[in-house]
Amino acid sequence: MKAFFEKIKNNDFYKMWFKDALPYVTGAVLLSVFQIVTFSTTGNPWGVSGVFANWGAWLFELGGGSVEKWFYFSSPGAQATLEAGFLNDPGTWRNLGIIAGALFAAMMASGFKIKKIKSFRQVIAAALGGLLMGYGARIAFGCNIGALFSGIASLSLSGWVFAAFMFAGAIIGSKLLVKYFM
Amino acid sequence: MKGCEVVAEETVRASSRASARGDRGKRKKKNQIPIAMVIFAVISGIGVWLGFKEDTLLLYWLLGLAFGFTLQRSRFCFTASMRDPYLTKSTSITRAVLIAFAITSIAFTAIKYGYFIKGLAIPGQGYVVPISIATAIGACMFGIGMVIAGGCASGTLMRIGEGFWMQVISLFFFIVGSLWGAHDFGWWKRTFMLKAPKIFLPDYLGWLGGLAVNLLIIAVIYVIAHKWEKKHSDGLSH
Amino acid sequence: MAKEVELDCMGEACPIPLIKTEKALEELEVGDTLIVLIDHSCAMKNVPEWARKQGHEVELEEVDDGEWECYIEKMK
Repeated sequence: MKAFFEKIKNNDFYKMWFKDALPYVTGAVLLSVFQIVTFSTTGNPWGVSGVFANWGAWLFELGGGSVEKWFYFSSPGAQATLEAGFLNDPGTWRNLGIIAGALFAAMMASGFKIKKIKSFRQVIAAALGGLLMGYGARIAFGCNIGALFSGIASLSLSGWVFAAFMFAGAIIGSKLLVKYFM
Repeated sequence: MKGCEVVAEETVRASSRASARGDRGKRKKKNQIPIAMVIFAVISGIGVWLGFKEDTLLLYWLLGLAFGFTLQRSRFCFTASMRDPYLTKSTSITRAVLIAFAITSIAFTAIKYGYFIKGLAIPGQGYVVPISIATAIGACMFGIGMVIAGGCASGTLMRIGEGFWMQVISLFFFIVGSLWGAHDFGWWKRTFMLKAPKIFLPDYLGWLGGLAVNLLIIAVIYVIAHKWEKKHSDGLSH
Repeated sequence: MAKEVELDCMGEACPIPLIKTEKALEELEVGDTLIVLIDHSCAMKNVPEWARKQGHEVELEEVDDGEWECYIEKMK
């Protein structure tokens, strides 16, 4: 059995498909294919961060809070999603799928490793970065997937505006990172 | 002649490296493929379960898996596409992202046009969102956050799959931030978004014109990105 | 005498390994080798790629599951 897995390890097709990093352009083409599949099968382009707002609402409700009166969750669609629950939300499964897909890919390449938190600095960076991304994505109607990738693919000018300001933000972020978080 | 020199150099280098490695002691590499097989079985099991529950859930699960697998395999990173041109002057990921934009905008336009000529409602128009100061502020916040946290939304999920604990914290606060944003959303909407325009390029330029302009913007940025990188690596390669 | 310097970037996410590599290389002499320890699969791709573009000699070795050592010999 062990010999069998060692044999796989040295197989050329294994190396090509599972081991060696794919070129960025190949990644771009594959993501485009799946983005198109997403749009044509679900009627909506890919989005990631909207789901996080729902996860937040469920966590908040678990903690005894209520989002019933919040304008953001007031539409019938949002209400229905929240009512159906975490496990019945398709978006939840797509986001969990990203984690599982990456986990499988890393394991398949024998490249998985638990990376523990190294310093308090990392915690602060992650917390601050996470908060900024979460809030920013809500008021800009999405993240780099929903507002940028899907926006531009949908020929919406908002995608380009998002791109320009996100680029400006990335430069500011880089400066902050080099100065305070290294 | 030149080839010989290079070979000789290689051996010297290789031997000095071998000694360096010897000091550290060789660790034993495990083969993780068997664990990958177990994960595959669990993934499939969840898929079957979701399939019995509802087809849509299974579809989304499969799409998520495909995105996650692709992101990890190609080390695709939207954060890097925005950050590296400034930080390292490298634009290879930026150009790859532009290629993705070009492919998907052609396909999306085709799909949308297909609905349009049949007189049906055009799908996905919910992603054509109002442009206001909130878009600018939100995008800028997002840009800062993703560089500091070392990953955007999809990148954070992908890195959790790779075993980064730091990204679990970043995901938690992403969720908290989303909830906070959702809480304030009403104010942003009343103050800025209600009067803000939603601009779908084909409404102003026609279907072909809209797509052409979109592709033109992509092409111009592609050329700039290419020149930018060349400008900063020129003189180094000689 | 060419020296070898080790740079520990374990547990660091992008772009920190790359920035640290850039800084560490600046302080080395031509002919010196920098050994960057990496356990982030993106850095395992972008650190060697960046160093090659800069014209250095680069070799990447997988030393353990999800751990790499990137040997960069400063060429200029």
